[in-house]
Amino acid sequence: MIIAKKLSKQYGSKVALNNLDLHIKQGEIFALLGQNGAGKTTTINCFLGFIEPTNGEALITGLTVNENVLETKKSLAYIPENVMLYPNLTGVENLSFFSTLAGFSYTNNELKRFLDRVGLNPEAYERQVSSFSKGMRQKVGIAIAIAKNAKVLLLDEPTSGLDPKASNEFSIIIKELAEKGTSILMATHDIFRAKEVATRVGIMKQGELSSIVEAKKISANELEALYIQMS
Amino acid sequence: MERLLIKNFFRSKGVVIGLGILLIAGLISLKIGKEFQDKNQRILEKTAQVQQDNIDRYVGYYKNAIGKALYFIRFGITNETSNLSGLSIGQRDINPSIACVSITSLEGQKYTSELINPMYKLLGNMDFSFVLIYFFPLIIIAFCFNLFSEEKEGGTWSLILTQSQEPVKILKTKVNIRLISIFSILIVLLGTAKFYLNIPISAPFLAYTLIAILYLCFWFSLCWLVISFRKNSNANALILLFSWIVLTIVVPASINAVVIRLYPISEAYNTVLDNREGVHNKWDKDRETTINQFKELYPQFNRYKHPKNAPFSWLWFYASQEIGDVEAQTSAIKLMEKLQQRDTFSHYVGMLFPTIHTQLSLNSISLSDSKNFLNYIVELEQFHKQKRLYFYPKIFTNSSALEEDWHSFPVATFQDKVDINWLRIIIPFLLIIGLCLIFSETNFSKISNT
Repeated sequence: MIIAKKLSKQYGSKVALNNLDLHIKQGEIFALLGQNGAGKTTTINCFLGFIEPTNGEALITGLTVNENVLETKKSLAYIPENVMLYPNLTGVENLSFFSTLAGFSYTNNELKRFLDRVGLNPEAYERQVSSFSKGMRQKVGIAIAIAKNAKVLLLDEPTSGLDPKASNEFSIIIKELAEKGTSILMATHDIFRAKEVATRVGIMKQGELSSIVEAKKISANELEALYIQMS
Repeated sequence: MERLLIKNFFRSKGVVIGLGILLIAGLISLKIGKEFQDKNQRILEKTAQVQQDNIDRYVGYYKNAIGKALYFIRFGITNETSNLSGLSIGQRDINPSIACVSITSLEGQKYTSELINPMYKLLGNMDFSFVLIYFFPLIIIAFCFNLFSEEKEGGTWSLILTQSQEPVKILKTKVNIRLISIFSILIVLLGTAKFYLNIPISAPFLAYTLIAILYLCFWFSLCWLVISFRKNSNANALILLFSWIVLTIVVPASINAVVIRLYPISEAYNTVLDNREGVHNKWDKDRETTINQFKELYPQFNRYKHPKNAPFSWLWFYASQEIGDVEAQTSAIKLMEKLQQRDTFSHYVGMLFPTIHTQLSLNSISLSDSKNFLNYIVELEQFHKQKRLYFYPKIFTNSSALEEDWHSFPVATFQDKVDINWLRIIIPFLLIIGLCLIFSETNFSKISNT
């Protein structure tokens, strides 16, 4: 579902991504670990079509992203580190707006059900987003992704800044989505969360994928040791 | 989607305040226009009354010397004010809409202006055209400068890009919402003006509305062009404010300076001097010379004679006044020509700059431009000449002032024709709007997905 073939990106003389090969199957959660600047966000941006790779290709559901930007866009949803919404609109209105952009037309009740599913407090549905905490915005962001019914979900440090409870709720939803067949690529700094949620964990260093491990086969402590060693 | 974008737009306090300020400024400008109209009406009524009182008084004093009575009696001619000038006072601030002249030398009386509140001559008026040309663009800039950059800076753009197939369409919807809200204020104000200032729905009013719409479209297209370069909010605000200053202040001031330099009117001064000299030196000259010059001009008055060696006769007096005008004629004609050239030059150069083009076009269709004043001066000359020729035989035969039916001289009216050259009005706007849109379209086509 999410495939990178010799994906490379260079900014002048700086190599951001170097011959990245990645294959994420349907229903799989792949966590990318790595220091700041290791190339995690660049990888995600290549799949989103925000940047054009210097070499190699990024494929979503078998289509090369850069040649089929509009088509691949339809099958993916994206949750950035900081989900930013329209502060003057309410939670429901924001969800409605972004779903409409993706071509969906949901009733008010359906929209509320999405927000309920991601665990947003019902009293916040009709409140303007300007008063939302980061966790609440993140939840609306996930609701937007779920409402899009995307086959591929790209997450860029989605739990950074969330309290443990919110992070945990987040993990549960992600797992549910994967069980229903969504392929998920998640860049994160949270080793514990990566081990918890992911099927496989990749460690990136200087634009290269230096190691890939099965999450089941490794403990959080071992993963941390590996991370420190590899990155 | 549109509904939510509209909600998002109107829920920001700045928007309501901005539109409110625009509406209030517009209403104030209409009030100023109404006062201008009322003032003109008052002057007109008073002038008619003063003229009759004046006639009655001097005819009473000089029953048997019509020449003397006519030295004092003034005849008024108004430059009919279009109701539209309530929206665009233009040069009517500086140039009087009524002139009262006696049949003595005209040049000295031509440019005498009324004595009502000369303060406005310094400040200008905040008429509707001022609100339109200066205030509306500021609000448009305030609404549009961060139309795109706020999405980038606020972080919503990346989400829009992944959700939408046509992200630029959202920007277009946003700009349309702003366009409709600003145009609503414009339509409300023009609608109010229609009833408040009693403006008939006619070609000039439609032209006025069209110019206002095109002018605002120009500012929207300029904002759209600046947005298309995808600079940050600060840069956009700077570029747009800079454009505003250049277009509304720097360029008009510079063109004015160029006009003054290209067409200096030293003749204005010369005309006054020539005329005064022409009239006053006749007292020191041989009376017959002046009278002969006069008779060359009007052979029909050959039969009237100046008493031999007499120091004064009404024939000689009015001849000296007339010849005073003749001697100033060369300068006077040049002066008019240069004023005409200034007007033509400004119109042509103004076509390149929508602010100037708008102001000049609005004044032109509101009959408050310099061309209207020049037409009025020509009419005033005709009016003056006609009065002279009517009264000369009566003066020269020294007929009794009582024989004249003085009530047959009401205040005359000059009705200028509104000349609407639709193509000349529209094409400069369409060209510049088209250029902005073409450039911005090229810019936007590059960024459909980043």
